[in-house]
Amino acid sequence: MHLRTRKIIDRSATGIGILAIVVMTAALVVLLAPIFANGTGAFVFRGTAEFRKYQSDRFDRGDREVLTTEKETLRQVRQPVYDLLHKFEHQLKNDDDLDARFGAEFPKLKREVYRLIGPPPGEALSRLERDEYGATRWDRALVQADSIVHVQEDRGLDSHGFSLKVEGPRAARYKGTSLEPMFGYVEMHLAELLRPQWTFYPQFLIDNPQDANFFGGIGPAVLGTIYLTLGAILFAVPMGVITAIYLVEYAGQGRFISLLRTCISTLAGVPSIVFGLFGLAFFINTIHVSPSKSVLAGSLTLGLLILPTIIRASEEALRAVPLAYKEAALSLGAGQWRTILTVILPAALPGILTGIIISMGRAAGETAPIIFTAAVSVGLGVKPWEVFTSPTQALSWNIYNVSTEHEAVDQIRHVQYGMVLTLVVLVLALNLTAVLLRARITRRLSG
Amino acid sequence: MASSAVAERPKKMTTSVPTTRPTSRSPETPQTPAVAGEVSHVAAEGFHVLYGGRPAVKSVTMNIPPGRVTAIIGPSGCGKSTFLRAINRMNDLIPGCTVQGRLALDGQDLYVPQLDVVALRRKVGMVFQKPNPFPKSIFDNVAYGPRIHGISSRTHLSEIVEQSLSRAGLWDEVKDRQHDNALRLSGGQQQRLCIARALAVDPEVLLMDEPASALDPRSTARVEELIDELSGQYTIIIVTHNMQQAARVSELTAFFYEGELIEFGPTKEIFTKPRQEKTEAYITGRFG
Amino acid sequence: MTAFGQTSGKISIRRQGGSLVLGQRADRLRHAVALLGRLILLAIASSSALAVLFIFYFIIRDAIPFFHDNGLREFFTSTHWYPSNAAAPEFGALAIFYGTGMVTVGAIVVAVPLGVAAAVCLSDVLPFSVRQWVKPTVEILAAIPSVVYGFFALVVFAPLLQDKGGQALSVATWLLFGPLAALAILVVADVSCGRLRERFRNPARAAVMILLTLAALAGLWKLSAALAAIHISSGTNALNASIILGVMALPTIVSVSEDALTAAGRELREGSYALGATRAETILSVIIPAASSGIMAAVILGIMRAIGETMVVLMASGNAAQIPQPWYNFLSPVRTMTATIVSDMGEADQTTGSSRYHVLFAMALCLLVVSFLANLASEWVVRRTVAKISAVRGTGGGDAASRPQGFMRRVWSWIGG
Ligand SMILES: Nc1ncnc2c1ncn2[C@@H]1O[C@H](COP(=O)(O)OP(=O)(O)O)[C@@H](O)[C@H]1O
Ligand SMILES: [Mg+2]
Repeated sequence: MHLRTRKIIDRSATGIGILAIVVMTAALVVLLAPIFANGTGAFVFRGTAEFRKYQSDRFDRGDREVLTTEKETLRQVRQPVYDLLHKFEHQLKNDDDLDARFGAEFPKLKREVYRLIGPPPGEALSRLERDEYGATRWDRALVQADSIVHVQEDRGLDSHGFSLKVEGPRAARYKGTSLEPMFGYVEMHLAELLRPQWTFYPQFLIDNPQDANFFGGIGPAVLGTIYLTLGAILFAVPMGVITAIYLVEYAGQGRFISLLRTCISTLAGVPSIVFGLFGLAFFINTIHVSPSKSVLAGSLTLGLLILPTIIRASEEALRAVPLAYKEAALSLGAGQWRTILTVILPAALPGILTGIIISMGRAAGETAPIIFTAAVSVGLGVKPWEVFTSPTQALSWNIYNVSTEHEAVDQIRHVQYGMVLTLVVLVLALNLTAVLLRARITRRLSG
Repeated sequence: MASSAVAERPKKMTTSVPTTRPTSRSPETPQTPAVAGEVSHVAAEGFHVLYGGRPAVKSVTMNIPPGRVTAIIGPSGCGKSTFLRAINRMNDLIPGCTVQGRLALDGQDLYVPQLDVVALRRKVGMVFQKPNPFPKSIFDNVAYGPRIHGISSRTHLSEIVEQSLSRAGLWDEVKDRQHDNALRLSGGQQQRLCIARALAVDPEVLLMDEPASALDPRSTARVEELIDELSGQYTIIIVTHNMQQAARVSELTAFFYEGELIEFGPTKEIFTKPRQEKTEAYITGRFG
Repeated sequence: MTAFGQTSGKISIRRQGGSLVLGQRADRLRHAVALLGRLILLAIASSSALAVLFIFYFIIRDAIPFFHDNGLREFFTSTHWYPSNAAAPEFGALAIFYGTGMVTVGAIVVAVPLGVAAAVCLSDVLPFSVRQWVKPTVEILAAIPSVVYGFFALVVFAPLLQDKGGQALSVATWLLFGPLAALAILVVADVSCGRLRERFRNPARAAVMILLTLAALAGLWKLSAALAAIHISSGTNALNASIILGVMALPTIVSVSEDALTAAGRELREGSYALGATRAETILSVIIPAASSGIMAAVILGIMRAIGETMVVLMASGNAAQIPQPWYNFLSPVRTMTATIVSDMGEADQTTGSSRYHVLFAMALCLLVVSFLANLASEWVVRRTVAKISAVRGTGGGDAASRPQGFMRRVWSWIGG
């Protein structure tokens, strides 16, 4: 082959390698960018007057006086809308012709308007909170307003055989009725109707979700994830570290030990969903650690899942302790246990901690093992003394749940993203801690 | 499995009185009483150390008197460290390491099954080739030994630490930063710290395995001075492959070659008029 | 001798006193305590290992009733999966196995070339300072929980595929095959004209290149046009799951391969460079063959990760228990074993022990067996690598022995995820 061609191939190969790295990095950015961009929206957003009202009613937050004056202002701005709706409703009752045209549609429209600006006092359409308050977030309000002001109309099928929908102003449909001005009014005065303000809502992390996550925060899920993670650590760390000590300090190279190692590495390869089934079949159905799903059963299952990681990290950390430390301690008359406890473990501690923290990240993010053993999608935060019997929400499971099985998945995107962001930040923070810790160890060992 | 098997000890060698007098040996293990009339502190008789069956120390017989500095010299790999580590049973750490023959401290055989290794190591301290302070504070390093032997009173510990550091000639340099990490000391200081740490448990015998080989010349000189100061108070056995060092610090010298003890006697004699050819060859630099 | 006489005056050894030997009772006690401590440790260590046997036992225990009642045949050969049909439940899992296989193959197709190329780049191309920045990328990709990948697949990626899928595919075709085709054309032209006489060589090469370029352009154009015309009816399908699973398997493959490539050693590289080989030639003909077992292990671990993954496939694959039409249609929804366990367990009555409950354990048993075999295979491959490397290096040297061992430990760590 020509030298020139060989060089071109050489460069191209380099190029392909760098391309692969770029693609990988791009994948990470593409993955995280929407999560960070939309997830922050759960904490920082333009909250409407309805949000403030809700916070005041439910959690007693905010300045009462300001809210009272705001309420008065809002009443004045909203009254025309309510009046127009009432008037039209009244006309519907008396006019059969009108009723035939709008009788089916109007109640839905009214509900949508109420969900935008809230119902007039005492006229909530149901006991659901989403019918008692209007749109709490400005971004949602804009979408909601759009669905009121515009309407989709079927225009038959397109060339691919898919139904073709066209948007048009709803006001056109109501042309000539008494309701016609309402659409213009809502469109024109949307900001006055809802008074959006930039809002910082850190309590998203601790508030209970209300009315199927339409309101409130993700407190129980955060709490549940913390319980499950700590529980798993509590179970796995002593076992894992002791096993590692045995493997490093006591065990030789015998058959039995290699069997032990094979078992542990097999445990590491078991798919997480199988852990879930095992937890159900063993912890709950066989030894009955709890009557049904519970934090305890979930923690035990997760603990088993991270056990191999902890054993491995501890083993590596213990092996990395210089033999010289052990020799020094023994030569001063320390027994084997004393040496392990006073010299070897302290020296290996940062490495073991790194492993523990990484496992914590893993335990916090795992979903499959807790589905059958601990996780439920609704419920209040679990009290510390209830962990032995009570199931819990958890971030990972709730992310799945509110983004697939929720009745209105696209109305609570901010909650979904907020949960995902919380989980990602939690896991990344744990990993970052581990990285920093590792850097510190390297520095410390070098003097 | 880490413990050495005690194998084939001749039956007649029962625990004897501390005044074991060396008797004459066969010609290939040239043996001399180190100092006529002196009692031995550490005594080896036909002592072997084997690694997985391969001998590293072969049939060594020597009597090391108390309170003196004894140097062990010889080419690398000749079993100096192995022999030294046998004295406080550090070889227990090495899987597959076994011993034969007899090695005694004050007449007490060190390889009987009932031996209390912890008590032995308290009496026989050790300083290693590379300084190996724990990654703890200077104070905690020195206090480590006393602590594990049951001293917990802070004042008592401080006393011991100060005393040990002073004896190791390190006190003045570190007294204001006893709570700094020991790894921040220089190499020479670290080695003296290790000596202080060994002294803190108040041993009778101090084993030193090439204690200065990892140090620069100045630190080496400092450590040698220190050994000189300590001589008389401890029985010091120092392994070195530096003959000048042996000549400078020791009163007695043992020459090992391929696991065997070739010659043992007063340092002056070994260096001026060696009786064995191999010794002469070695000290005149013809090999090793 | 007189010298010693002189010094003897200053000898003042402090004898500690006390016996070095323990009394019989103290000695027995010491042994008993040591033995007890050892036994306790052993018990704890073995219970960590026993856990895996427990898992096997309990999964098998709950899987057996299913096979007992329904036999093996339907489960492994039928594609009719209607476990909730009360009158006549059907437990044909073939389509589900097929779905698992399909997304796994897809994930491997995405992850292996990308992962190995990235690993080569990390081990042989990038300078140290850049590597320090790339490694965290790999670590973060590995740390992100699977449900987050699943969420991304469902909420961001699926709508994108559904709306712009065809165009995206055609753009990807150009980006991927364009450069590769260019490279292939260069090489083919050069090789085919290499034998010609000096005078004809350059014109001939130019002619071949132009011809090939035109052909390649035409081919790519047709392909991309065909792809662009594709209408994807649902964004949650095998393709979506494959791509996301591939990205998830990437960190495993990159890390393990990179370790294997690094373990190949500098001597090997220098030997090749000394013969005048370029970097690409060295990598392709020397280093990758030397590291092939390690890369193999990486691929196995990547496969394991893809097969065992639950949340991503549950959220991204569409969950239709059917064999796609035609069989290679990655744009149709499929269903995997893990997803089936999650979504059907919710419906199955968890404690009564109906066939619907036990069939899921049968499926878990299949997963368990596959992952066990894959685990053994990867260990075997790694062990072979170690043997090979130490054979090359000669046994006995402390350094030579330590490197593969460290490598093996790293591999082992990746099995854990
Ligand atoms: N841990 C061990 N396992 C097996 N052989 C060893 C071990 N340590 C030392 N040896 C062997 O024992 C012999 C003596 O070693 P050593 O006592 O360290 O020599 P020296 O300290 O005189 O240089 C050498 O041949 C060496 O290879
Ligand atoms: Mg040595």
